[in-house]
Amino acid sequence: MAKQKIDPESLLPLTPAVFHVLLALAGGERHGYAIMQEVAQSTDGQIKMGPGTLYGTVKRLLAAQLIEESDARPDPHLDDERRRYYRLTGIGEQVVKAEAQRYAEIVKLARGKNLIGKPA
Amino acid sequence: MNLLYQNRSLAFSQKVFEQLLLAYPAAHRAEYGADMAQLFRDQCRDAWSEARHFGLVKLWLRVLPDLLKTCLREQFSNLNPAKSMSNKISNLFSSPTAVFFKVFVAVFLLVVIASIAITFILPESYASTTRILVQPDSNDGQNILATVTNNVISYDPYFVQTTLEIIQSEVVLSKVITRLNLNVTWGKKYFAGQTLKTTETMDILKNQLLLAPVLDTKLISITVYDDDPKEAAQIANAIAESYRDYRAEMRAQLVESSLANLQTMYQLEEKQIEQSEAGLEAMRQKYDISDDASASPTEYLSQLNEPIIISQQHFEQMKAQLDNLKQLNKDQLRDALPTVFPDVTYNGLLNKLNEARQEYATLTNNPSSASTRATDIKSLVAELNQQIDDRADGIMAGLNTQVAAKHADLEALKVRTQQTKDKMPEIKPFWD
Repeated sequence: MAKQKIDPESLLPLTPAVFHVLLALAGGERHGYAIMQEVAQSTDGQIKMGPGTLYGTVKRLLAAQLIEESDARPDPHLDDERRRYYRLTGIGEQVVKAEAQRYAEIVKLARGKNLIGKPA
Repeated sequence: MNLLYQNRSLAFSQKVFEQLLLAYPAAHRAEYGADMAQLFRDQCRDAWSEARHFGLVKLWLRVLPDLLKTCLREQFSNLNPAKSMSNKISNLFSSPTAVFFKVFVAVFLLVVIASIAITFILPESYASTTRILVQPDSNDGQNILATVTNNVISYDPYFVQTTLEIIQSEVVLSKVITRLNLNVTWGKKYFAGQTLKTTETMDILKNQLLLAPVLDTKLISITVYDDDPKEAAQIANAIAESYRDYRAEMRAQLVESSLANLQTMYQLEEKQIEQSEAGLEAMRQKYDISDDASASPTEYLSQLNEPIIISQQHFEQMKAQLDNLKQLNKDQLRDALPTVFPDVTYNGLLNKLNEARQEYATLTNNPSSASTRATDIKSLVAELNQQIDDRADGIMAGLNTQVAAKHADLEALKVRTQQTKDKMPEIKPFWD
């Protein structure tokens, strides 16, 4: 059976947890702990995902085919074989781009109304 | 050994978390349970590194609501994956009510159990904090003087970080371990009386230690976590004291080396001064300059001219007297000469002349006296007059000679003084 073509716009808006996980994976393949660290670092520690939220999100993203499990091990010498790595699928990348664009438009709108300052 | 020590708390937390995972649907647990447990272990390790037991408590306070929320979500979605969330909720309250209550009760009980475990079972942990004021020392003598006199020292952007590393280093912590005998104390406390090695004790101590700079101050806070509040305070204070001692030692070494440098510089300067003084003395001797440190160039010139002036005055005075004496007749000269040039012989002759004249006057006033005696006295008077004149001539000649000699001395003095003055431009720079 041919795969059903998904419209990225139809999945928007994303929840913050989903968006942050997709953003973390936009930087490359990562396992669960690395995703959590990336999210915490990129939000200055404001968002620290718990195991339940992270793997619940991963489960839904796998089901929606926005991410997929990766067989490739990034660094065989330092890798822990028990960890599973995830990466963005093509549609996942489109979705995260679309969501980022949506946020950019919102920021532009807010800036036009002087709600936030211009970037330095 | 350090891992064993940590695992008492970490292993318990992980075991509780694995039990809590049972509240998730079996399929979800089978697929992601191991990953979730692994992630929780990683988070436990981070929390322990951050703030030991307090970090674990914060982690649990974050993880428990997350578990409850996601557990419910997974149970709902497990009821009928194909249906919407509203249908899932309606299903939950219609047919599988038992599932809901089962999940709710299970999660509630697990949360309560975990809270009790955290409150009563986990070992109590106390934190003791002390603060120390740190400011940089300098690495040379001038900056040491600046430090002593509280002057500004150049800013070191890495100073605080370096200080934090020093406090955690062996040089500071080993003294704390020795001072509090922690190898034995912690061996008895945690490892059934087995005395620990210093490196092992240091690992445990580092895990119980939290160092942080106090924002916008020169203070560093030293926090020690321990299950005994008294011991936590003792360790925190001992670390502060050990660091203070370390800084004092470093400072003493620094001052000592700086003083040695200053001493060397002082000796070099002293040697140069001695050489300069020797050169100056040689030039003084060469140019016959007085070693009168107080004499200014003007004074020195004045001193040079002073003998000439005195000699000139003396000469002119003698010459004036001589000229005056030359203008006198013989009788006037007999009156003036004894005061100008006292001469025993001359004075004696004058006295004899006076006596002879007196006797002659007596004899001539008395006609009975022998005329022979009068004649003798008269000839004596004539002879004395002649001797006195001769003597006066001799004195005048002597005075003439003295005036001439004085004049010659004066001229010679003038020549020598002029020679000295002629050499003065060469030595003038010393005075400028």
